[in-house]
Amino acid sequence: MRRLLALVTVLAIAGCGDDATVSGGGDKPQIVVSAASSMKEALTACAPDFPDADVRLQFAGSDELAAQIRQGVPVDVFAAANTKLPDALAQEGKLGRPVTFATNQLVLAVPADGGEVDSLRALERPGVTLVVGAEGVPVGDYTRAVLARLGADRSNAMLANVRSNEPDVKGIVGKLTQGAADAGFVYASDVEAANGELRAIELPAELEPTATYGAGVVKAAKQPDAAEAFVDDLLAGGCHRALLAAGFGEP
Amino acid sequence: MSGWFGVLLAVALAAALTFLTLPVVAIFAQQPPGDLVSALGEEGALDALWLSLRTTAAAVLLILVVGTPAAYLLATRRFRGRAGLITLIELPLVLPPAVAGIALLAAVGPSTLLGRAARDAGVQLTLATAGVVVALTFVAAPFYLRQAIAAFEAVDATLLDASRTLGASPARTFARVAIPTALPGLVAGTALALGRALGEFGATLMFAGSFQGVTQTVPLAIYDRFATDFTAALALSAVLVAVSAAILLSVKLVRAPDAL
Amino acid sequence: MSGLSIEARTRVGAIELDVTLEVAAGECVALAGPSGAGKTSVLRVVAGLLEPADGRVRCGGEVWLDTAVGVDVAPERRRCGYLFQEYALFGHLNAWRNVAYALHETPRAQREPRARELLARFGLDDRAGARPATLSGGERQRVALARALARSPAALLLDEPLSALDARTRAAAARELADVIRDAGVPVLLVTHDFTEAALLGDRVAVIDKGRVLQEGSASALAAAPATAFVADFTGAVVLTGQARRGQGGTLLVTLAGGGEITALEGEPGPVAVSVYPWEIALARPGEAAHDSARNHLAVDVLSVTAVGSRVRVGLAAPQPLTAELSEASARELELAPGGRAVASFKAAATRVLPL
Repeated sequence: MRRLLALVTVLAIAGCGDDATVSGGGDKPQIVVSAASSMKEALTACAPDFPDADVRLQFAGSDELAAQIRQGVPVDVFAAANTKLPDALAQEGKLGRPVTFATNQLVLAVPADGGEVDSLRALERPGVTLVVGAEGVPVGDYTRAVLARLGADRSNAMLANVRSNEPDVKGIVGKLTQGAADAGFVYASDVEAANGELRAIELPAELEPTATYGAGVVKAAKQPDAAEAFVDDLLAGGCHRALLAAGFGEP
Repeated sequence: MSGWFGVLLAVALAAALTFLTLPVVAIFAQQPPGDLVSALGEEGALDALWLSLRTTAAAVLLILVVGTPAAYLLATRRFRGRAGLITLIELPLVLPPAVAGIALLAAVGPSTLLGRAARDAGVQLTLATAGVVVALTFVAAPFYLRQAIAAFEAVDATLLDASRTLGASPARTFARVAIPTALPGLVAGTALALGRALGEFGATLMFAGSFQGVTQTVPLAIYDRFATDFTAALALSAVLVAVSAAILLSVKLVRAPDAL
Repeated sequence: MSGLSIEARTRVGAIELDVTLEVAAGECVALAGPSGAGKTSVLRVVAGLLEPADGRVRCGGEVWLDTAVGVDVAPERRRCGYLFQEYALFGHLNAWRNVAYALHETPRAQREPRARELLARFGLDDRAGARPATLSGGERQRVALARALARSPAALLLDEPLSALDARTRAAAARELADVIRDAGVPVLLVTHDFTEAALLGDRVAVIDKGRVLQEGSASALAAAPATAFVADFTGAVVLTGQARRGQGGTLLVTLAGGGEITALEGEPGPVAVSVYPWEIALARPGEAAHDSARNHLAVDVLSVTAVGSRVRVGLAAPQPLTAELSEASARELELAPGGRAVASFKAAATRVLPL
């Protein structure tokens, strides 16, 4: 009976840990970094090598992460898929001055082994299944802004083919790799991370498909110095190089 | 009860009550009710509510029609492999919703044989309302089946025998004796399945996507709104809480009208 | 042949069932034996609820079961009235609806009146709308009986019809049941663990143990000449019927049907059954019995003398059938022989009285 009780207690404590990625060990300070899902592969690779702290990463849609910070969740760094959210948080006094650390290209992704869609124009055809990000999620906002630059008629024709507004860019990727959709708007880094299952159709420069990524130190951070160091790393250190390798661009 | 043990019990109860009721109360208390009501009136919210209602009803209906005879067979016949079969049916119960989503994609997703066959037959599953019904049925069915099997097992076999000696066929015995006798258990199972289907999120998102009026059920709508329009998320949550409470209450009333 | 003919050979749990029985129309055969003997299994074979490995069941000229040629009529197509041990009334239906459940061949409009009529015959017309949960044990038994008889069955099967009733209700129920059995005019197979019940209700009694019928015959014949020690033990009690009235000092005086008067120390006035165990009955030559107020004496004719192991069963008539059990030595000493006369004595205290 006593052994059972001990086992249950240990399991309960273990269960209290969250599922954010934990890196390394030892007595370095620990920081929590909230980052947009599109950076998942890159940051997961570079975080263990960050010298100044143990980095715990959590990924979700940038808007969801911003909402958490607004509610007072004590993370140390916020790295978003746009600059709008970091700027807004900074204005509210929740974030230190944000810096732009990377860019990502919005691309039209299609299944690699061919299909209905081979160009942007093809999206206007009725019957095409398109998946985009939900409004409020950076990838969704970028998509709508980009399409708006095509003019109302073309934009509406394309948006009429939308069959799902995903809360997370990985959801869009999933629908594409499953074969549930003909096309979707994701980041170039997502196509890179899809291991050859997706093909990216680049968008013309006049549509301004560049997403600018901003990051800052959260005011309520427990380890502001280590947090600052990480933001620098995003700007110019190991993680910056990892982002470039994953398909991100210079700011 | 006096002494330290009595105090411990009281404290435990207070803690449990607070932990369980505070979040629910907070849903209603955070914003003025007027704001909640007007948030509901916003078109996406009504679409979500109507969609949840339709898809849950369809799923539950499917579960009842197919599940009730199946549960009866499992409960009243002994055959080899019966225990294994029952465990298999109960499996989705312990599957995390995300795993359920993956499972559905792997079974009837757009890249599978069955999925393609469905599409060719004109039935669109992914990114369509039918897909929502499939997801809800998959996650909610085991809740009903398990209760139904238990309820039918509890029916005194002598009653079924008696029915046969009185001239009733096995079908008539099922409908006129087994079901009425097992009814309280069947109702409880239906309520569980209903509750599970209403709240389903992960599998639906993965399998059917999220699109207003087509696949964005109330839980998905809440998730869509919570970062940008917290009041709307609260309002939808409040409705779900109210509906769930109503389901729970009606089950209690059916089982023991005086016990409340 | 309008009777019921049963042959069944099969394994049920730990028992090898091997039974052959014939029940004529209007006759009641009581299958009596300890629990686990296979009695209920026989009823289930007749009803079609249990398919034996090898068996034949014929009723009223119809073949219900013949494993040799693969005939197995489904239970719902056999016209059996089955009274289950715990009655198996449908809890979600009231009394008349329970009865009406059997009336699916009757036009819908006539079902309720017919059901109520059947219940009225059992004195339950004012309880027709009640749910089984609100009925007393005796009332439930009568509803179950009415329900079993509703379809005018070709055979009546009764599973321990009185055992679920308390002693007081049992008497009235036994009387009622005897009437029902008589009026039904169909073969009746009754199963019980109580030999007294079997003796009272059955025209013939078949004693069953471990799946086999050990002996068949009238109750008194079984008691008087048991074929085995088991039958001897099982058919223990002697049952005499009579009319009781109060005697002096708290005693009960019973005038036996056909003659003779005995005293008991318990019981109520009115029609009664008196029961004594054969080994409590002592025999003496006429005129030699000690006259003792604590003992009952009956002048009896000796009908049969049967050795059972080391004991002797003596069949007597007072004129009601009576059985005494003596040691070999006592029997020899008394020089008992069929056709002789003797005096049977037993203690008033050993005289059990059951209301009839």
